[in-house]
Amino acid sequence: MTGQTIIRITEQALEIDPMIKKLTDQSTGAMAIFTGLVRGVTQQKEPHETTELQYEAYREMAEKMMYRIADEIRAQWPLVRSIAIIQRIGIFTPGIPTVLIVCTGEHRDSGIFEAAKYGIERLKQVVPIWKKEISPDGSKWVEGDYRPENMHL
Amino acid sequence: MKQINVLFFASLRDLTSERMIELSISDSMKIAGLKETLIKRYPQIAPMMDTLIISMNHEFAFDEMEIMDHAEIALFPPVSGG
Repeated sequence: MTGQTIIRITEQALEIDPMIKKLTDQSTGAMAIFTGLVRGVTQQKEPHETTELQYEAYREMAEKMMYRIADEIRAQWPLVRSIAIIQRIGIFTPGIPTVLIVCTGEHRDSGIFEAAKYGIERLKQVVPIWKKEISPDGSKWVEGDYRPENMHL
Repeated sequence: MKQINVLFFASLRDLTSERMIELSISDSMKIAGLKETLIKRYPQIAPMMDTLIISMNHEFAFDEMEIMDHAEIALFPPVSGG
């Protein structure tokens, strides 16, 4: 039995408890939940402070890519039942959750941890969402380092 | 001639001051040709070309692909969601 797939780009606050409830059915015994937050102080690599992040999405393509990530997760971890991939867009200050990835299974060894990790890493590669970072020194668009490859060559 | 819409996101939108433009292109134009056309129109995006990502009808698109009639093309920098 396949579980649910919830894909969403939203301006609303991310709420974990209602999502847990929604994804739970009689055979759910484990759930891996990843959330990413706006970080106010960066200490590694290039230390700096962040005042706020402004997110925008190419919504139609982003949702299509998020459904594709859910398909990729199911292909790699067939014991994962339900999947939620939710990105919040708008303007956010440090401490605010901006992304939520949930994978459920009957047991904790169903691949849910790896699947949730894959979900957030893939989102950061292929889902067309961008953030502009506002810091005390000014503002700049954050760019990822992934470039899509032509699979048809 | 083919009619297409070209969308700009994030830094590309800031640089061009455009969200969406309509273009008429030759029937045989490929993504590489469209890039050249857009650089002529917006020379300020030339430095972005090495990392620029292009999509056609919500799928990643590459230089040698022929552009479909009524395609929705989008130009954007590497993504940074999460």
